[in-house]
Order: sequence, then structure tokens, then C-alpha cells
Amino acid sequence: MDFKLLPSKWLSKKNSLSASRDNSSELNEHKEEHPVYSLQSEMNRLFDDFFRATEMPMLGRSFALSPFTAFEHGLTPRIDVRETDKELRISAELPGLNESEIDVSLSRDMLTISGEKKQESEQNVKGWYRMERSYGSFTRSVSLPCEVEQDSCSAVFKNGVLTVSLTKTPQAQTSTKSIAIKKE
Amino acid sequence: MTSAIAERKKEEIATPQSGEPIRNRRVFVPLADIYETKDRLFILADMPGVDEQSIDITLEKNVLTINGFTTPNTENELKLVHCECPEGNYRRVFTLSEEVDRDGIEATVKNGVLKLILPKSQKSMTRKIAVKSE
Repeated sequence: MDFKLLPSKWLSKKNSLSASRDNSSELNEHKEEHPVYSLQSEMNRLFDDFFRATEMPMLGRSFALSPFTAFEHGLTPRIDVRETDKELRISAELPGLNESEIDVSLSRDMLTISGEKKQESEQNVKGWYRMERSYGSFTRSVSLPCEVEQDSCSAVFKNGVLTVSLTKTPQAQTSTKSIAIKKE
Repeated sequence: MTSAIAERKKEEIATPQSGEPIRNRRVFVPLADIYETKDRLFILADMPGVDEQSIDITLEKNVLTINGFTTPNTENELKLVHCECPEGNYRRVFTLSEEVDRDGIEATVKNGVLKLILPKSQKSMTRKIAVKSE
């Protein structure tokens, strides 16, 4: 009798290691279909979802703390931050919004993008098959890593991507200072 | 029990259906809404960064494939310091049922959202049958 077929051996690592090369490749091929593997991957997914949903900073993916990291929910737009020596450029993915529905504001060291995405479905909807996109109001604040000129802020919205360009202040551009190390 | 966050994550296609692409770019599955009215089906797909010239929709038999291509950022002097929207193309494949009228499919794109209108064919629509008295 093939030992692999014993239910108690299904999950044992040793067993899959001892399987011959041909068998293990076959096993990998059918991994997705195998009931035990699919149960295992479903369990892993549930755990992942749980830790993400509870937003535990140590366990979720927000562990990798960056100055721009935000606790995400529902509609929080995803952002990219790029910079040069003189400029800071923040782009946000906001598909399905008009430029008039987006509000960008800048306080001293905080850039806030907010707005409301309205559901624009036809009248007389008979039924929904899938609803993966989110609707509603959102806001995201980004604390800026350096001082920026308050007057030279520009924003462009194209194809669902908002790009905000900010100019760094002259002080911020030259703020890096090397510190001399003395020998005692 | 898929949480909103898990769904929002940019999901990558694990195995492209039709061979490997030549260019090494990531391919994401755009999030989509699908709903129907009495005579039409609607598909809305979020594809930020894509315009009408960079979308390719094909219908082969009953397989509808949406490909969206984004333009890579070529400004080299800009240094990426924080990334949540990795660059890549979009691809999603739908299998259409018999009820869709293949010739009347319309597609529009606005603000990074693709809207597909699939009219239902006449024969699949429910008809009321008049009952005559003999």
C-alpha cells in the first residue's frame, strides 16, 4: 500500500520529502487541487486576512514602517512618493473620480487628499454579480519629509492618477549637513 | 470572508493564460464591478493610468480579454522613496454566457475606469406570451 495515501501522512513533511522525485513533482502539480492543500491555503488566507483586518502594527504588513505608511481601509488611495533634490512628487491612484471631486490641501507639513467616490450605476439595476470596487468618502494625509514652498504646489489628474508636485524650500534642499567626527 | 483590505491589494496574475510575456512587467487583475439591468450587462474595471489608446479588448469565441498597458515612468531623476502602486499592466479574462449579443459590445474609458456594456441578445430576453382564447 502506498503510504502517501494514509490520511495521517498527508500533512507530514517527512513523507513528501521521502517521496521520489517523480512523485513530488506530480504532487506539486496537483497541489492546488488537493483537498488538504486547499484547506491549508484557505486557513493561511484567513489568518492573513485577520491580522490585516485588525491592523495590528506588529503583525500586519504595516510592520515595515515608513513615514508615509497609513492604516488602510476601504477606499484609502494608494500613493507613490518620488523625489529629486528640489521636488517632491506624490501620485495617488484614484480611478473613477472626476478632478472636481478631489480635494487636495496642504498645511505646513501635511498633504491631505480627500474626496468622495459616488456609485455611478445605471437606473433599474436588476442584480449584482460582483462588487469589488469601493465607494464612499475617503481621506489620506501624508506627513511630508521636508519643508515645501506653500505657494508652488501643483496637481494634475489624468486617467485616474493624481500627481501632486511640491517644491522643497531652499533650506530643505541644503539641510543635509555632514558632521565631523573627532578623535578623542 | 475577504476583508476590504485583502481585496484592495493589487492582485497579481500568478500564471498568465497564454504563455509568458516577453517583457518582464508585472500584470495585475483590475478590480471590477459587474451588474445587470433588464437588457444589458455592465462591467466596470478600475485601471488607473490607462487611457483609451492603451486598452486592448479582444473577444475570441466566448472569452473576453481585457488588457491595459500603463506607460512606465521614465523620469530617471525622480527617485522612488515610497511605493504602494507598483508599475505594471492589467489583464482580466471573462467568459461570456450565451445571452450576450457579441456584436453590440461597447467600451468606454474615463478617469481610469473601463466601462463595458454588453447588450443581451434578443432571444435570451424573457418574452411574454399572449394567451389566446380558443
